Amino acid sequence: MLENQPEKWDMEVDLVSIGSGAGGLAAAIAAQDHGLSAIVIERSSELGGVTAYSMGEVWIPGNHLASGLGLEDSPESGRLYVQSLSMGYGEDRAMLNQAIHGPVALKYFEDRIGLKLQVIRNFPDYYYPHNNNSVAEGRYLEPVPFAAETLGAFQHKTRLTPHLPAGFTHEDIFHGGGLANILAWNYELLAERITKDLRCLGPGLAAYFVKGALDRGVQLFTDTSADELICDGTRVVGVRATREGKALFIKAKRGVVIAVSGYERNKDLAKTLSNLLDPVSMVFGTVDGAHFRLAGPLGARIARVPDPANLGIHMPGEEHDNGTPLWRGSLPFLGLPHTIVVNRAGKRFANEAFYRSVYYAVDHIDGATQTHPNFPCWMVFDHQARTKYPCGGAMPGQDLPEGFAVISGSLKELAARIGVDPDGLEQTVGVFNDYAEAGVDPDFQRGTFPWGAAMTGDIKHKPNPNLGTLREGPFYAIALQRMGGGGINGAGLVADHHCRVMGWDDRPIEGLYVAGNSMVRFDTGAMMQSGLSNARGMTHGYLAGRHAAGCPSDLLDTALAGQGTVA
Amino acid sequence: MIDTEQSIIIEAPIEQVWIFAKDINAWAKLMPGFQHCDIADADHSRWTLKIGVGALIRTVKVAVHVGRWAGPEDADFTFALEGDPVQGRGSYRAVALGPAQTRISLAVQVEGTGPMAPMWEAMGRPLLPKFARGFAEQFKGEVEQLGGGATDAPP
Repeated sequence: MLENQPEKWDMEVDLVSIGSGAGGLAAAIAAQDHGLSAIVIERSSELGGVTAYSMGEVWIPGNHLASGLGLEDSPESGRLYVQSLSMGYGEDRAMLNQAIHGPVALKYFEDRIGLKLQVIRNFPDYYYPHNNNSVAEGRYLEPVPFAAETLGAFQHKTRLTPHLPAGFTHEDIFHGGGLANILAWNYELLAERITKDLRCLGPGLAAYFVKGALDRGVQLFTDTSADELICDGTRVVGVRATREGKALFIKAKRGVVIAVSGYERNKDLAKTLSNLLDPVSMVFGTVDGAHFRLAGPLGARIARVPDPANLGIHMPGEEHDNGTPLWRGSLPFLGLPHTIVVNRAGKRFANEAFYRSVYYAVDHIDGATQTHPNFPCWMVFDHQARTKYPCGGAMPGQDLPEGFAVISGSLKELAARIGVDPDGLEQTVGVFNDYAEAGVDPDFQRGTFPWGAAMTGDIKHKPNPNLGTLREGPFYAIALQRMGGGGINGAGLVADHHCRVMGWDDRPIEGLYVAGNSMVRFDTGAMMQSGLSNARGMTHGYLAGRHAAGCPSDLLDTALAGQGTVA
Repeated sequence: MIDTEQSIIIEAPIEQVWIFAKDINAWAKLMPGFQHCDIADADHSRWTLKIGVGALIRTVKVAVHVGRWAGPEDADFTFALEGDPVQGRGSYRAVALGPAQTRISLAVQVEGTGPMAPMWEAMGRPLLPKFARGFAEQFKGEVEQLGGGATDAPP
């Protein structure tokens, strides 16, 4: 263990949270509520982290809100769902820990900070109805619109998202026909919410936690980067940060929580830890692996679960508010009717309406040829799709900006221009059109995941919300780029059930905690479920804050004792 | 529809303010988010601007048409975003308050069309006055820096 204490501390608190997403804020709130003093330091100029860039979904099986609506479920059913999909890459204790504490943390933050979530009605688990423990609705929660004016000076220092209007809930979007039918949404309602700065989705969720921190006097420092953890030879006792160009030594008497999301904006880490080659990213630049740089010198153990490349698109002329190019996830567009994804051979290779299918297939390596047969790949669609559906930031019917798509009057010419086998593409489209008219995709079962229909399809399209012919020119092709997981990356710090970071000697590093996407996903293994990352973040923060305050949760121990097992 | 009118007093003769106002190339760069401007002719130009929409910055192209040049007091113009259902109109009005002092008033109206119009207008409503005010102050600063305030006009 290092011994690198400064001669003089600039500040002294009990707990320092590094990162201001749900994980870091939740830890500070829980710590402060249990008698500690806490500070949150945030490297960027805005609070909210990747939480604010999310859809604001919080996925908690067995939550009391669903129960209140009479929706049958249990934490145990959720645990079995996760476990059965984790493919052995997860750890049973971690899954049980999240299953037990997710509903508890939810209730805690409802009671303590006024967090208001609601069930997203008729929104199923990813694998519903294909998994016995999946449910048709109830596990997905989202924030009730939050009045951001109550944040005072932090109203405009709490992050918004460039990816979707923050004034719509899932309920609003689905009521308007889903993501595909963007022109049918209620823009009068949105205008009212914008005028009143009522925030939904990820910005709303982040704002609830910022408000909770403000209300209990948690100090919030933006533009403050954590550079090094400080140790006394036995435990972590503080942080060396930089603020306004000067070193700031913050003593943390009870602990430091690392909650800085993932590492995808660091291309070297993305390549070496996730085998993700030259990725783009939909998140901001500070998601670059600070957790590894901070905890590495202390011998923190890292591990990885499978994490496929996502696929992104960039519409020329769109930027983050810091001026960097904005990359959007392609997920909402790939499964739309009149749209397919093909490889160099002009062949489809996955269920485009279920991104888990597409993304794992993109990473496939053909060992016989040492190639990625499914990358590069292209989204191909026709005039019908362009007329009816949004594409990136372009609205239906709107001209696409120059350089965004290759456009041609014929499929063969389109294929030739993008370097795809023209005969292969023409044949693929011919077969696909037959499937689309029948409403059945025997090759990849497109349209058989209700979640995919809701999020990547047109729920008004018949007979299958994810299938529609490509018959009307002009035809379009957009190259898809490998993209990080929006802060949800495969590798992370290993932690115990109190979120204490573990060393390579399998012992906790005293005084060091980790929360959210900075922690390896042993509680999910190879599976993913949107909303789980936000649920993990707030749950980890709850657990870390309690443990640092000397009030650790004993619920896992109790559960395991009942099974005759020790945590 | 959203609109704003911003007035500002410039320490320069009205003729000198007009010389600056009628030269689009001179003041185009004062527009917030300005990237470049292609002048087609005396009345038509195409502007490329970066505009903040929440956390998103978009590069937009705006076709501007000056429909009436009536210097040194008046000019009227219309504009339309290319590819976006947003258009508008505006006016420049100048009044000589003295031989070396001019009040200019800039009025801008923006109108969204189509189903998303309420969203565009709600986003633009708080921004437009700031945008116009910032432009007017920059305009004043440029004219006065060019020597408007140091004219030999009698007191």
